[in-house]
Formats: sequence, structure tokens, C-alpha cells
Amino acid sequence: MIQKELEIKNRLGLHARPAALIAQTAAGFTCDISLTKDDITVNAKSIMGVMMLAAEYGSSLKLSTDGPDENAAFQAIETLFDQKFNEEF
Amino acid sequence: MLVLKGLPASPGIAIGPAVLLPGEVFSVSRQYISKQEVKSELSHIQAAIEKTFAELTECEQKVQAELGSEYANLLSTHKLILQDPVLLSSLTSKIQNEFLSAQAALFLTLQELAAPFDKIEDPFFKERRNDIYDVGKRLATNLTGDKQHFLASIHTPSLLVAHNLYPSDTINLQANKIIGFCTDVGGKTSHTALLAQSLKIPAVVGLATASKDVHAGDTLIIDGENGLLVINPDRYTLANYRKIQKDIKKTDSLLKTINHLPVITQDGHPLKLFVNYDPRTDNKDNKRLITDGLGLLRTEFIFMNTPHPPTEEEQYQIYLSVAKRFDMRPATIRLADLGGDKIPTFPLDELQQDDNPFMGCRGIRLFLKNPELLFTQLRAIVRTACEVPAQIRIMIPMVSSVEEVQHVKHAFNEVLAQFAKQGKHPVNKVALGAMIEVPSAALALDGMIGLLDFISIGTNDLIQYLVAVDRVNQEVAHMYDPCHPAVARTLNLIIQTAHKRGKEVSICGELASDSKMLPLLLGLNVDALSVTPRMYLRVKNNIRRADFEHCADLAQAALLMGSSDEIRNLIEQNNKHENP
Repeated sequence: MIQKELEIKNRLGLHARPAALIAQTAAGFTCDISLTKDDITVNAKSIMGVMMLAAEYGSSLKLSTDGPDENAAFQAIETLFDQKFNEEF
Repeated sequence: MLVLKGLPASPGIAIGPAVLLPGEVFSVSRQYISKQEVKSELSHIQAAIEKTFAELTECEQKVQAELGSEYANLLSTHKLILQDPVLLSSLTSKIQNEFLSAQAALFLTLQELAAPFDKIEDPFFKERRNDIYDVGKRLATNLTGDKQHFLASIHTPSLLVAHNLYPSDTINLQANKIIGFCTDVGGKTSHTALLAQSLKIPAVVGLATASKDVHAGDTLIIDGENGLLVINPDRYTLANYRKIQKDIKKTDSLLKTINHLPVITQDGHPLKLFVNYDPRTDNKDNKRLITDGLGLLRTEFIFMNTPHPPTEEEQYQIYLSVAKRFDMRPATIRLADLGGDKIPTFPLDELQQDDNPFMGCRGIRLFLKNPELLFTQLRAIVRTACEVPAQIRIMIPMVSSVEEVQHVKHAFNEVLAQFAKQGKHPVNKVALGAMIEVPSAALALDGMIGLLDFISIGTNDLIQYLVAVDRVNQEVAHMYDPCHPAVARTLNLIIQTAHKRGKEVSICGELASDSKMLPLLLGLNVDALSVTPRMYLRVKNNIRRADFEHCADLAQAALLMGSSDEIRNLIEQNNKHENP
């Protein structure tokens, strides 16, 4: 299992579009992928779960991946965070 | 006549008869099924999901073609919600293990999924609950085979009043003869509001009681410019709104005819017309405007909804993209006017709950008590100026004394020196200016004008402070009066003082786009106006129709008048004469 804290760097936070990107990306892997914020843990493959976290700009989330392709899954989602979900701000 | 105040969600004026969206019938009792029916209920729900998916795909393509990918993304999101593994597993488990009917399973699942969103405080995230309900409603419609859609049955152009409106409803609006809508709930950032803007349907949201106060067939005015709903307007109000409506319709043709023409009065007096720019609400129409530059970039938004103050790098990225948009033209960036009604979410020592926030620690007062905020923003702006050819102008908000200007100028020079040490210099000289919005700054302007390159008059606050009226207070709001003799005289004093030293004066604030007040402002010899992109061409058209000599006479007459009534009368008469 891999776990690490990630920071939200895009100014609008995890609104619908970034949440969709996370869920879509996560759905491509077989391992379990979860995001945790303030003691709430959700399935990262669920767009509704990710939106429910209401993660705003500057807050941090714990990403966990657990399963056969956990390395690749972790990297793919971490990249989304690093690239601010391809948003301008 | 009844007027309700809400939030403007989509600009424009719509007038017409009301239709009421029937209340949500989306509640289902717990229907149970027998073990033998499990299989057929599961296949029902599967079929409904497939059908909904096909519908959403079709809608997505339609929206993509008509409105572009920004809005099509919304439907892609809805498709993802439909395919959400949590939704599917909850539906399956409720049917298979709890023996609930497909409909009941769907209803309970949606309730469970949406419940956590009710606890979210941030309105932006809370709104996303509607996306879930929207998908659920489509699914339910396909499950029951109830095809008769209310909106499809409307045949005359009407205004829709609803408690709440889902994005998918909004997409169907225009085709269904709905020319404007208003809702009890909702915020400016809801998908429904964004869609209404792109469909160019006027809309007002957050009216609280509209769906109870309006009866079907009432005549309504939806004022999407000011966020108002007028129910059964009187004759005068109706006529007034029809005129505004006509003016707005002019904008499209104006764009074609005067966009490329200079901003100059009939008798050849030139003026600069800047735009108040907000990168968050930029759109295709705004991009087509040819302007003299950026007159006011409000930067408060960068400091809101963030747990820590924005870094130099974060601010730099924003200013850079804004400045590039204005190539070599002036780009005026106002230092953040925090405090007042704009309280940042990160902790600040000096910022306590003010009893009287508009007279408290706001604007430059707050920045001088938190120099790290001031220096960070100055560095980010100067760094931008070192990279781009735009004429960057820094504007200080809420100045009330010369000492404040001296402090900022000192800090500004220090920042310039820091950059010079690294061999970096602004491409063009960075100008330093002040907002004149406090009477003390207006009266003592001669003492500070020498330190400044330009000034801009913030009329909203200036008038509010001059007449000591809080516009939010219902008891005194009517006393907020742009026609007060003190307003014309103070504007005149500011402009004369600045011109004696050869400094440019611009006016930003609502007064600049008020067509009746424009002749007075022109006549007082203001150098520049800064208005919203939406008002830009209308103001430009009004300037091009004005006669400067005539305006100057009007202003001289107003300066000799001693009461609001006299000045208002003068302005009304002039307006009647110009626009018979």
C-alpha cells in the first residue's frame, strides 16, 4: 500500500471537473484507491465521493493506493494534482 | 407590484407571463418486491441507466456543438455520476438484499448520496448536490417511462419560476419558449447560472420565496442585471424596463458598428475608456472588445477561499496572464481591498470583527499593518512588469492620508531596488496611483498628488462616505444620492487638483456607466472611465453621441446648484432632450 499527503494547488479546488478527472483516471486501475480528508475517506473511483470531500484550494488530502498496480495508479493521480488538473490558476 | 431581491445569475431583462414549474414529485414510498421480481427490477434499472446514458451522450454532443466544450464537460460529469460505482453498488444492493423496488432503491440511494453535501458550508461545493439530483431525476423519468415533460408543453414565450432548476432543465429552456427564469435557491456559481449565461437567458437566483409569491399568469420582469424580480409591475416600471431592454439589445449591433471606432465626443474631445476586467468571468464576447486598457483589476478574489495568503508565485501567474491579455496597453492592478465585507479566510492578527467594517481596518490600512502582504503583492506585480510590455499601473485602495501614500511609495521603491539588484527592470515604467474614495483624500489631494502618477475615483464608496449612508441599510438606502451637490463639487475638486499637476483622473464605479450621469462626468473633464465589459459599448456609444461643450455647460450649471432636486431635474431635462 502507498500513502502520501497531497496538496490542492488549483485555485478552485476539487470541483466537478477535477473530480471527474480523478474518478476517470482511478477507474483505469484495478487496485483500491482512496482519498481522505478530515477523517472522511472516499473511493477515488467515485466522482460523487471525490466531490463530497469539498476539498478547497490549499487543503491537503491523503491518497492511498492498494493492489497490484498501486505504483502506477499512485503516480497517475499524483501527476493530476501536480499539474493543477490542467487548470489555469 | 412586488419586488424581490435575489442574486443576478445571468444578465439581461426579460418581461412576460409567469409559468410555475410544478413542485418536485420526486418522492417514493418504500415499495418492496418479492424475491422472484429481483431479476426483473435489476434489468429495469439497467435499461434505464443505458437509456439515460444514451440521452446524456446525445445532449453532450448537442451542447458541444452549440455552446462549446466548457458546457459539454458538465454533461460528461453527469455521465460519470451515472456510472459511479457507488451508485451502482448501492442500487444493486438495495434491490437484491433489501428487496426494494427499483424506484424506491433509486430514491433512497440519491438521498443517501446527496445528504453529505447538505453539511458542506462552501456554496460552490454544496451546489454539486444538484448535479446528483439532476442525474437521478433523468434516471427516474426513464425508469417510470414518464415522458411527458412539463417544459415541452409551454407554447408562448414565458418566464419560468421554480423552487430549484437543474442543469438539464436549463439546457432545454430556450427550445421550449422560456425567455428567462428565476429560482428560490441557487448561487452565482451553480451550473444552472453558468448555462443561463451562455444561452443568454436572463436569470435571477436565490429569491427565497419567488415560487410562493408568484401565481401562474402574473406579469413578471426578471432583471438579471441587478438580481431583481418584479411581480405585476406598474405602468411606469414596465415602460422603464422596456426601454432598458431595448438598450441592451442594441449592444450586439453596436459591437459590429462602433467596436473599432475611437472614443471621442461629437465635437472631437477624446476620452480613454478602460474596462474593469475579471479573469474569472472572461468570455468570447469580452475578448472581441477593443478597449483602451484595463482600468481596474480587483485582486481580492486571490485572497479569498484560501487557508494561507497567496504566494508571490501564485499572484505572479495570475497577473502575468492578465497583463498578456492587454499587450502594450495600460493594465491597472489594484492592491487587495481586504476588510470591509471582504474578509480573507486565512488568519490575520489585525483583522477582528469590526463593528463598523466600512470605517474599519480595510484596504491599505490593513496592508500597512501586515507589510508582508503588501510586499508580496508589490513584488508579484513588479515581477510581472519585468516580463511583459503592458503599462502596469498599481492602484492603492482606501487612501485617507498622505502618509499612507508615502509608506506604499517607499515599499514600492524598495521592491524596485530589489529587482534592480538582480538586474531586472520593468519593461515600461510602473505607475503608482490611488483610489480616491474617502472624503479626506479628496479634500487633501493637493498634498499627495505629487507622489502619484494617476488617480481613480471610486464613486460607490466616495458617495457612501460623503453622504454617510450605508447602502445595505434599508432605512437610509434611498439617501444614497449621486445627484447630491456635494458629489459634483467633490468630483470637480478632485479633477481640478489633479489636472493642475497634469495627472490623469479616471472614474470607476457604477456612476461611470450610468447614461444619465455621463454628461456631468464628461463636463467635469474626467480623462478616463472604467466600466464592466458588459456596459463597455453602451458607454462608448453614449460618449460618441455627447457634445463636450454642452456637457461642460451642464457641469458648470450643476456646480452652482444647492440641492439634489435641482441637479436631478437638470440631468433629467438634459436626458429627455438627448433621448426624446
